[in-house]
Amino acid sequence: MKNRVWIIVLSLSVLICAVCWLYISNLSPLSQIVGIYQNGTLVEKIDLNSVTGKREITLSGEYGKNTVLVSNGHIMMKSAECPDKLCVKHGELKNGGSPIVCLPNRIVIKFEDTSYSADAKTGALR
Amino acid sequence: MKTKNLILTAILTALALAAFTIEAAIPPLTPIYGIKLGIANVFTLFALYALGTRQAAAVLFLRIVLGSIFTGQLVSFIYSLTGGVLSFVLMILLKRFFPIKQVWVLSALCAVMHNVGQFAAAVLMTGTVQILYYLPVLVIAGIIAGTFTGLCAQLVLMRLKKQTY
Repeated sequence: MKNRVWIIVLSLSVLICAVCWLYISNLSPLSQIVGIYQNGTLVEKIDLNSVTGKREITLSGEYGKNTVLVSNGHIMMKSAECPDKLCVKHGELKNGGSPIVCLPNRIVIKFEDTSYSADAKTGALR
Repeated sequence: MKTKNLILTAILTALALAAFTIEAAIPPLTPIYGIKLGIANVFTLFALYALGTRQAAAVLFLRIVLGSIFTGQLVSFIYSLTGGVLSFVLMILLKRFFPIKQVWVLSALCAVMHNVGQFAAAVLMTGTVQILYYLPVLVIAGIIAGTFTGLCAQLVLMRLKKQTY
């Protein structure tokens, strides 16, 4: 076969793969179970896909109160009374991203099941 | 000519190893795991076309063994080997269909095979099928990286066409 044919074949496969990739990455994962931890112990477990409406969870710690806002598919720290408010600036918890952490009040919000996050598995093997 | 052949194979192995080590020292270009250029493959391709199958196998497998000893751990050795064996088998099988002017196509196909093989090894070792969504990315990366390394080997081969080994 000629070079030109191969160029077309290979660019087409790149295109097809790119479309597949975009399609797959837009699918929502089967379950999005998020755990809220305070002082290292589990406070609450929430499946983000089964949440209806909006819900607020208030946690209090040494440095005041933190308010977690939960809605379908989303979780974020709405407000905090701690000095730096890093957890609020973190925004929404994203799949494959870092967990939401409030150091002063020792709160961590993270995904429970990380098996669909490629980095979690292969990153350790690097 | 046997000594010359032996020395050329040794030099190519050393060059491939150097390229591999240098590439491993460069921070990854993308945050996605498993995507790299694979410059060491240029030397395998060159050996395959200029010297022969057995010499190319020597260059590839010595590079993988020594490269893993110098840079990585056992896990990366297993990944390299799975990818290396699969892509090399494909390379030998398809070589007859690709003249020197189309080395880049062979290289792209083998790079895809290499990535898919490594991916299969990763799925088997971690036991997660969920990372399957990662496959299209690896195919794209394989085609692009393979084309570039293949072009490298091809240009050298075309320039040295008249040379006899």
